[in-house]
Amino acid sequence: MNKEQRLKKRHNAEKRFRLYGLASILLAIFFVFFLLNAIFSKGSGAFLKTTIDVEINFNADTLELSQQPTKDDIENADYYDLSIDNILNVKSVNGLDEEKSLINLFSPDYEYEIRAFLINNPSFINQTKVLKLTASDDFDQLHKGNYPRHLPEERRRISDFQLNLYDELVNEGKVDKIFNSYLFTKGDSRNPELAGIGGALVGSFFTIVITLLLSFPIAIAASIYLEEFAPKNKITDFIEININNLAAVPSIVFGLLGLGILLATFNLPRSTPLVAGITLALMTLPRIIIPCRASLKAVPPSIREGALAIGASKVQSVMHHVVPLAIPGTLSGTIIGLAQALGETAPLILIGMVAFVVDIPSIPTDPSASLPVQVYLWSEQAERGFVEKTSATIMVLLSFLITLNFIAVYLRQKFERKW
Amino acid sequence: MTDSEIKIKSNNLNVYYGEKQALFNINLDIYNKEVTALIGPSGCGKSTFIRCINRMNDVIDICKIDGSITIDNEEIIDKNLDVVSLREKIGMVFQKPNPFPKSIYDNIAYGPTIHGLAENKTEMDQIVENSLKKAALWNEVKDRLNEPGTGLSGGQQQRLCIARAISVNPQVILMDEPCSALDPIATAKIEELIDELKKSYTIVIVTHSMAQAVRVSQRTGFFHLGKIIEVDTTEKIFKNPGNKMTQDYITGRFG
Repeated sequence: MNKEQRLKKRHNAEKRFRLYGLASILLAIFFVFFLLNAIFSKGSGAFLKTTIDVEINFNADTLELSQQPTKDDIENADYYDLSIDNILNVKSVNGLDEEKSLINLFSPDYEYEIRAFLINNPSFINQTKVLKLTASDDFDQLHKGNYPRHLPEERRRISDFQLNLYDELVNEGKVDKIFNSYLFTKGDSRNPELAGIGGALVGSFFTIVITLLLSFPIAIAASIYLEEFAPKNKITDFIEININNLAAVPSIVFGLLGLGILLATFNLPRSTPLVAGITLALMTLPRIIIPCRASLKAVPPSIREGALAIGASKVQSVMHHVVPLAIPGTLSGTIIGLAQALGETAPLILIGMVAFVVDIPSIPTDPSASLPVQVYLWSEQAERGFVEKTSATIMVLLSFLITLNFIAVYLRQKFERKW
Repeated sequence: MTDSEIKIKSNNLNVYYGEKQALFNINLDIYNKEVTALIGPSGCGKSTFIRCINRMNDVIDICKIDGSITIDNEEIIDKNLDVVSLREKIGMVFQKPNPFPKSIYDNIAYGPTIHGLAENKTEMDQIVENSLKKAALWNEVKDRLNEPGTGLSGGQQQRLCIARAISVNPQVILMDEPCSALDPIATAKIEELIDELKKSYTIVIVTHSMAQAVRVSQRTGFFHLGKIIEVDTTEKIFKNPGNKMTQDYITGRFG
């Protein structure tokens, strides 16, 4: 091989190598795009809900209320008759079957929606008001175009009669799509149109706060001690190896630990953010300690020497000089660790967070859902409404994770120092 | 104490890094308010020696010291000695300028703060100004005391480090190749400064530059392979060395 051939071969090798890199990046971008597209196209519908306009006459007699009812009276009144009466006025229907068909256009919560309106607006007693009542899941999906209405009647849950009712309502302009506030304010439900991630949001929030409060101080203290004060001997080597190993332990093992120790031995309440937070803190500890130690290690020894030589004690040199310089790396490591904990599902399943919890927790010892587990729970449901709710929850979870990671990157870049 | 008295005296000093012995029976006297230069090839133990004087070797776990170093007849190699007050007395300047990544003012004020040398802000301002003046840096930085010390040029950074060292009124300043990372002009400034500082401080300087040793020091010690080969006045060492090895080194035949 002469010189020219060798040169050509070398240039070709470089071109080929660059091409491999470019190809893999394009492939990765394609997959990310594909994933995001799938999630967004499925999930964006969940942020809207279908409503049907119903004119409600808040007749005091039907509600069995006096003409000047107190707040308590309004809250305790029976809204069933009023609701049914008014809903049946939407369309003229004959017979029990048709009445039932009409009522089934609405989500079973119509009674509470009407009640909630009157509680907030007590002046509407004996007045009429057009309310946008939530449609049931099937009609919600029908209106969003996800329902296979071309199928023969016996293979649909929606009858032809109901389809006609729906089409007439649409023609009258009574069917609407509005922002679905239930998605963020309600807990889980068996009815997809009423299910929300409110409980999961609060549960995840409590969990992450507990994880942060437990893991951050312990991790910082451990990393400072190990990096700056601990003698280098076999014991600290052993600890170091184990921290690295712990960071690689599958998260479900920590779930087993939580199950075996926190629930079985200490009898802490099952499926609560408290237990989830402690379990995830154990899992997150090594994942925070490692970047913390790395950022402490990245502080050049000359800074320590400078401080020691001027007569600072060991603690002073660490606290005044080393730790402040390591803070950005420490914080970004912590945030990444918390983001991982936020997306963790397996350990939460083991400590019982898969329970069906309707109520939104008010304290960390209330049973609760969490965002990733909510995704897991809804992904197993057959109803079409839950399919879009699953994707919507993923969107919310991803937006939190992206925000956290963005903050971490920002901190790292903003406070990055050059020595 | 007169100027010709011995300030620091090292007696049969042996230093080990683990199994390896770095210094062998070092006997060396350092005189008050003089510049003592330590020369010798790389790895001969000069830096190890001056880091024994302010006990900076303590941070190295495997480092063991036996023998004795005294300052004003007080033992330094003593487990019960408080290294903080020792280092207040013996300042140090390193090979690579290492200002703290803080403002110029805070760089100087740090030492006096932790040692409680200033009662109030006015006193602290005075200490900062005096230290910077003594380090011949005041005129260059007086208008930008709040700018980061790391933004100065290499030579200015090194003078900042010298100012930081003298801010706590030490008696001795150890300099570990203070000019090896600097250009000739910055080096000249530091050397002038050393000349000035020796009026008030005892200085020990490790250097690789024979010329620098001649220019700044009154006394020179030649180290080789962990042993001290010859110590004498700088004039004698460079004009009429008593040892063949010293002569070979200073004439550039090895090292």
